[in-house]
Amino acid sequence: MNGIQILLISGVVVIFGYYVSRFRNALLDLLVLTLFAALGIFFILFPEYTNTIAQKLGVGRGADLLFYSCILFFLFIILKLFARIRRLEDKMTDLVREQAKEKATDMKET
Amino acid sequence: MDFTFTHCMLSPNDQKNVFVVIPAYNEQESITKVLNELSSLPYNIIVVDDGSTPPLEGLLKNTPVHLLKHRVNLGQGAALQTGIEFALSKNADFIVTYDADGQHRAADIETLLWPLRQHQTDITLGSRFISNTSQLPPGRRSVLKLARYINFFFTGLLLSDAHNGLRALTSKAAQQIRLRQNGMAHATEIIAEIKKHRLKFTEVPVTIHYTDYSKKKGQTVWSSFRIFFDILLNKLFK
Repeated sequence: MNGIQILLISGVVVIFGYYVSRFRNALLDLLVLTLFAALGIFFILFPEYTNTIAQKLGVGRGADLLFYSCILFFLFIILKLFARIRRLEDKMTDLVREQAKEKATDMKET
Repeated sequence: MDFTFTHCMLSPNDQKNVFVVIPAYNEQESITKVLNELSSLPYNIIVVDDGSTPPLEGLLKNTPVHLLKHRVNLGQGAALQTGIEFALSKNADFIVTYDADGQHRAADIETLLWPLRQHQTDITLGSRFISNTSQLPPGRRSVLKLARYINFFFTGLLLSDAHNGLRALTSKAAQQIRLRQNGMAHATEIIAEIKKHRLKFTEVPVTIHYTDYSKKKGQTVWSSFRIFFDILLNKLFK
């Protein structure tokens, strides 16, 4: 095992540990995460397999394939986050509006 | 006794409960003047302070105004929706939206209400382009022309004025329209809602006063891009 492999594997383990401690109750999420972590560690240990997959898909190197799929993945995350921010804004608007209506003051009497 | 007496004095139309909704965000310089102009008229006034710093409350002491305060700044669309909901809860018959920056003429309100009083239409929209009484600053005209076609693209309705803050709605129309665009894109959203609920609308000529202050507070070319993207993103996320 060389340096970069140790670095990457410990990274995967730390992130995995963090998620497990935070999302103890979401079983499906945990299963998916375990799968991803296991796959990650596998490809870190045997990077030549990524080349085989990449070539089957018509991409030169495994590293390039990883790069392309990361772009797609992060775009997906951005969209998910945007939708979540939008929902949060809606909730905040409702709260602020509710309060504004409750505390409406007739300024004639001030 | 008193009550029945006044009843006889007024024609049926005058009894209509009119609420003017003024969304205001940091309009300390203009709000007092706007209210002075309005307070002599027989309308109820709602000011929605959209999180101004300092709050507008101090300037509004002893004015005939219902003040609603947003704890944080949400945007003009959100402030309008808050004011409209409050007006409906006070049994408004007609609701007028009115800008706080002193661009509008109080006398135009009655022009907007007239078709509603005659039961001709559900909504009247102020337009500065029907009659040429508004002196537009250079550049503003072309921005608004562009916005007109953007609105057409998103809503299928081509209006003469894309972004005019002066409008009047019947309570029936106000109940159906729900603004989810908190920012400036609500102007397009209103048109989309008119189309969606098949409301009848009329454009009415109004005059816009351009002051140095209102020009400073007004929309720029840049904000029209922001509005465009707001609408686009909103289409994507329901």
